[in-house]
Amino acid sequence: MRTGTIIAETSDLTIGYKTSGRTNPLLEHLTLTARRGELVALIGRNGTGKSTLLRTMVALQQPLSGIVRISGNDIFTSDRSLLPKVVSFASTEPFAVHNIKVREVVALGRFPYTNWIGTLTSADELSVNEALQATGLLPLSDRNIDAISDGEKQRVLIARSLAQDTELLIMDEPTAYLDLPSRYSIVSLLKKLTREKGKCVIYSTHDLDTAINEADKIWLMSEKGVAEGAPEDLMLSRTIARAFESPLLSFSQTSGSFSFIRKSRGSVTLDATGSLRKLTERALHRCGYKTGQDSAIRIIAVETDGRMEWTLLFENRTECYNSIYELVGHLPVED
Amino acid sequence: MRGSGSRLSAGLIFLLLLMLLVLLFTLDLLLGSTQLEVRDVLLSLFGNGTEHGEIIVMQFRLPKAVTAILAGAGMAVSGLLMQTLFRNPLAGPDVLGVSSGAGLGVALTLLTLSPLLSISPGSVLYGWSMILAAWAGAGAVMVVIMTVAARMRDIMSVLIVGLLLASAISSIVSLLQYFSNETMLKTYVIWTMGNLGNLSYMQIRILTLAVTAGSAMALIMVKPLNALLMGETFSMSVGVNMQRTRILLLATASIMAGSVTAFCGPIAFLGVAVPHITRLVFSSNDHRILMPGAAICGALILLVSDILSTLPGNGLMVPVNTVTSLIGIPVVLWIIAGKKGIGRRF
Repeated sequence: MRTGTIIAETSDLTIGYKTSGRTNPLLEHLTLTARRGELVALIGRNGTGKSTLLRTMVALQQPLSGIVRISGNDIFTSDRSLLPKVVSFASTEPFAVHNIKVREVVALGRFPYTNWIGTLTSADELSVNEALQATGLLPLSDRNIDAISDGEKQRVLIARSLAQDTELLIMDEPTAYLDLPSRYSIVSLLKKLTREKGKCVIYSTHDLDTAINEADKIWLMSEKGVAEGAPEDLMLSRTIARAFESPLLSFSQTSGSFSFIRKSRGSVTLDATGSLRKLTERALHRCGYKTGQDSAIRIIAVETDGRMEWTLLFENRTECYNSIYELVGHLPVED
Repeated sequence: MRGSGSRLSAGLIFLLLLMLLVLLFTLDLLLGSTQLEVRDVLLSLFGNGTEHGEIIVMQFRLPKAVTAILAGAGMAVSGLLMQTLFRNPLAGPDVLGVSSGAGLGVALTLLTLSPLLSISPGSVLYGWSMILAAWAGAGAVMVVIMTVAARMRDIMSVLIVGLLLASAISSIVSLLQYFSNETMLKTYVIWTMGNLGNLSYMQIRILTLAVTAGSAMALIMVKPLNALLMGETFSMSVGVNMQRTRILLLATASIMAGSVTAFCGPIAFLGVAVPHITRLVFSSNDHRILMPGAAICGALILLVSDILSTLPGNGLMVPVNTVTSLIGIPVVLWIIAGKKGIGRRF
């Protein structure tokens, strides 16, 4: 993949609030870029200012200092009326109405282009249809917004942003409240838009897993600022680990996943193969046991004719179990 | 395509509603507490009726029917603007304190000023002073609300301020009532019951101007109103100047509701209920349809209320406010209880 031109860029940006004359900076000196054809995931813990950054980037909020450039223009000094044609924004704000059709919501994305009363020209209708097509919503276009799932509602917001025909799409937590398959389907849709339509998409999320697996670039927000780079860059530099690790959580640098830190209860020698071994090991780890050689506790797991059996050898006892659940319920505690 | 199909049916509904409007307007002229021949009424409209008929039709029934249309349309459109702006199905001109502001103006005039200036009830000066007082009261509340709206980030705080203001005003009015004599009290209470039949042609002209200007303003706001269905953040992100839109919507709604209340007294219930009925009738949330739709539905409902309030052929008349509530509330209950309640329609 060749590097595209820069679509969004902040330089020395300080975001925050002004309350009764006093400035209250959240984050200072942010210098970030996002390019054409890139999917950028903004991650960070609650309250670090993800929404504030996104709102500042679409000029819904004034920065305390610094510059935001979108498609080359400083959004706070150039003609404000042109902004809706270069960047679209979908927030977590709930709809005010229920009684509205999918197509009507998507058509509102044409707002910056329509006349004073919002009449759709044939070119507008074409954009709306293309947006519905690209998001797979054509079969649902005459449904009420109330009669579709939460995942489909997010698609409608993406379609609305697409209909707005901007180079940059900014979305605040598009995968919040969604189940796992819906989260993946939304993020893969966003990625498809970057690949097939050359869009630049910046989205904030708490779904670290999907972000690490799908995003081209991560903007990682912490109290100290925002670090940017490919997911793997941030894994290598342990930036992700530092931002999210806690006394209860450790980050695996190579797999890019988090695991709980547990109190050790002893070690077990496991004789098993394949997925039987992997899953038994997983259960042992979950219960705080390490696996190793020549431990006092020994477990033999075998599969014969589709039946699985776990044999637990400890001191002089030999016990057999038919499920992992039963096995871990009888594990001895090693002093 | 279904899109064009529903547009066609919206056109059809408009046609039917307009025919109904003409029918009810005619009925309102034909029926009244005094019985008149149909022929006499029609001839009177063109100046060829009997003297008795001409007086009743031209001096009473025609101005009353025209006022019903104007007041109904004004309150309904005003309510629609408020519900979309506040994104609240219970919003209406009343919750902004506009009606109570007008009430305060009238109460102050009736209960304190007119005894002091010894303006006799029934005089021309008396009628105008009530109207000006109501306008001033509604206007004062409007200014307060807009000042709040210009400063507060959250539109819901404006709604709360409106409700608080309305309560505060009604306490002041109660206080004034407590210290006034019986005649004044009765005049005030009767004003609060609403009256469509008190307007001179001069006053109807002013009301027409206020409602037309308000409707024109509302029409200009149709596009941002539709964006507001997606919320304020979305609206701003597509280029709506939210501050200006808020002020314009509040001003438009207040001018219409304030004028109607000044001339006809507080017309209960229309502002809140008619927008819901309109959404139900057209099954749409598009303000290009809802705006004219609410105007027509409001006019229709107030015409029906007016016909019923004269209790045709009985020689009696009851306050129009009692009728709007009595026929309106069952309608709303029916809508809420129906398969698709108001919440789903909003």
